[in-house]
Amino acid sequence: MFELLGRDEIHAIHVAAMEVLEKTGIMLQHDKALQILGQAGATVDEKRKVAKIPEYLVREAVKKTPRKVLLRSRDPKRNILIGDGKSYFTNAFGAHYTIDLETGQRRLSTLEDLERFTLLSDYFPTVDYIKPNIIPQDVAKNVLEQTMTLSMFKSAEKHCSVISLTLDGFKDVIRMSMILAGGEEEFIKNPSIVDAGFNNVPPLKYSEGIIDMILECARYKIPFDISTGALASASGPVTLAGTIVQGIAENHAVVVLTQLVGAGTPIMWGSCATILDQRYGTTAYGSPENGLIHAAFIQLAHYYGIPYYGAAGVVDSKVADAQAAYENAINALTATLAGADVVHDAVYGIVESGVTACYEQFAISNDICGAIKRIAKGIRVSRETLAVEIIEAVGHEKNYLTNLDALKFTKRHLLEEQWQPLITDRSSRAEWEKRGSKDIVERAREKVKEILAAHKVEPLDKDIEARMREIIEKRAKRDN
Amino acid sequence: MVSSILEELREAVIEGDLDRSKNASKKAMDANIHPLEAITNGLAKGVKEIGDKFSKGEVFLVELIMAGEAMRAGMSILLPKIKATKTEIKTLGKVVIGTVKGDIHSIGKDIVATLLEANGFEVINVGEDIPTEAFVKNVVEHEPDILGLSSLLTTTMPMQKEVIDAIRTAGFGDKVRVMIGGAPTTKEWADEIGADGWAGDAVSAVNLAKRLMAGNRS
Repeated sequence: MFELLGRDEIHAIHVAAMEVLEKTGIMLQHDKALQILGQAGATVDEKRKVAKIPEYLVREAVKKTPRKVLLRSRDPKRNILIGDGKSYFTNAFGAHYTIDLETGQRRLSTLEDLERFTLLSDYFPTVDYIKPNIIPQDVAKNVLEQTMTLSMFKSAEKHCSVISLTLDGFKDVIRMSMILAGGEEEFIKNPSIVDAGFNNVPPLKYSEGIIDMILECARYKIPFDISTGALASASGPVTLAGTIVQGIAENHAVVVLTQLVGAGTPIMWGSCATILDQRYGTTAYGSPENGLIHAAFIQLAHYYGIPYYGAAGVVDSKVADAQAAYENAINALTATLAGADVVHDAVYGIVESGVTACYEQFAISNDICGAIKRIAKGIRVSRETLAVEIIEAVGHEKNYLTNLDALKFTKRHLLEEQWQPLITDRSSRAEWEKRGSKDIVERAREKVKEILAAHKVEPLDKDIEARMREIIEKRAKRDN
Repeated sequence: MVSSILEELREAVIEGDLDRSKNASKKAMDANIHPLEAITNGLAKGVKEIGDKFSKGEVFLVELIMAGEAMRAGMSILLPKIKATKTEIKTLGKVVIGTVKGDIHSIGKDIVATLLEANGFEVINVGEDIPTEAFVKNVVEHEPDILGLSSLLTTTMPMQKEVIDAIRTAGFGDKVRVMIGGAPTTKEWADEIGADGWAGDAVSAVNLAKRLMAGNRS
């Protein structure tokens, strides 16, 4: 619905990105990856660990990258096909702090917070698949990824993205995913029961650990997103076009490497790039420039035929307030209208640029994203919806509340035509006052408590859970 | 004459004009202005002004960094003379700062280093992916008042602890105050690993460094 760039501009950006890949190259702190790229035709400087990648390698890699990614869920009804033309939404990722639902105090995040945010993600209709919203601070670091994975598998029937911080942890998480999939064989056939996500170190660098895990994904063909994290004017050029060029070069280096190792591995081509606020030296995710970066990246991803995954909807405000709502809305809406295949961070239950989880904000964002999805759905135009017969039946004397045919017509189409918000207030003033004159934050808090008390998911099979716990215990013992 | 040269030094820094800063520094030497005077009432005055304005959100980061570069350009002219006169530049304190081993993130750490410098600290920015032994070596060699350790990854946070332990083992535990930062770190983590302070952004880091210099822990 929204096309930012013209054909010539898309082409110019592509050419510039290829120039960067070929001339400046990408630093990969990973000897084996450099070797693989070198053998395929890249020019490798082993000492500086830089690979200069020619365009034909990019073209070959892009050709091998699937246009669609089926993400499987514990409940197959919740499977989603990324790249089918719709924008799928995820919740937010990785808060270390949480604003306590009871006390309102900001404190370290806990495993219970992760469980609750995952349960809420399972409940909220706007969340199509689920990210680890919380990085709990009350779990030992050596079993963090494993413990988080079990917590998420238990708390949701929708598809879950797993956390990938260390190679050892990620390998355990893959073992746990195999158990969820019904065994190693089944997992190898259908590894998309999980997916992972990785960032670079801008400008133009990848650390060893990230490449290790990407190679592990390529080995099993586990879908993953690769997202440039460039900050315009700090780790990327101040010009948005320049930051996009650099980001494309960064992303494509991984596409090339991955398709050389595991041809056909599904990749979502992404960005969590934004601008650095030059007044405070902070990241500005809620900025309009963020939305523009996504809109341009989406067109480039689709030019390459790769699904686009963008972190649009991140909030910089410190609390669930009007700023948080507008920041969340402008960028999630822009990315959706521009055709993002995945709007990551859309249903954003975090404030403070990814640092502090906020339950109230999550419920508010669910309404914002519900509205955005309604806009994306558009208007149905058919003989039936044009309603000429009903208009004639109602005529001048009656209206759509007094004519029986019109009433039936309304009943038939209501849910298709009108989106129903969860906590947005549209009551009369008298009614609103009768209900305690509560603002949206208060209503959000009450709704969240209600959902947490009532929403249940199908428990994990006891044997599956026990085998996952074994993996966690084994790791804990080995390290002690 | 003297005051107009000092004013030019200050202006050159505020404008982030490297050439002008060098020229004014040469003028200062020709006019026999003591190099310390040229720094304190010229270059450093400009940087301080920009630093204060940055802390209030009134100037941009790029202007702050360019001011620092302009100051360095002027200093490059003045330093040989300072060394010759065997005088010392007074600073708020000396800081060694770097990103720990296994972590190649630089942006946040560089912003903190710039702002510390603008506020009158002497900063030795040792870079990224710095092994523990190299931090110890820098502490032994430079004897800083403060050591700043940055980590942007959950996986490299334990390296902050390793450096703190190694500094203690090397016998510098009482001599240097350690402050840590980086996106995944928390105040609680700083307490756990025995750091003297934690800061979540550059302005807080400067305030923390000042408190540490005054002998207060966070």
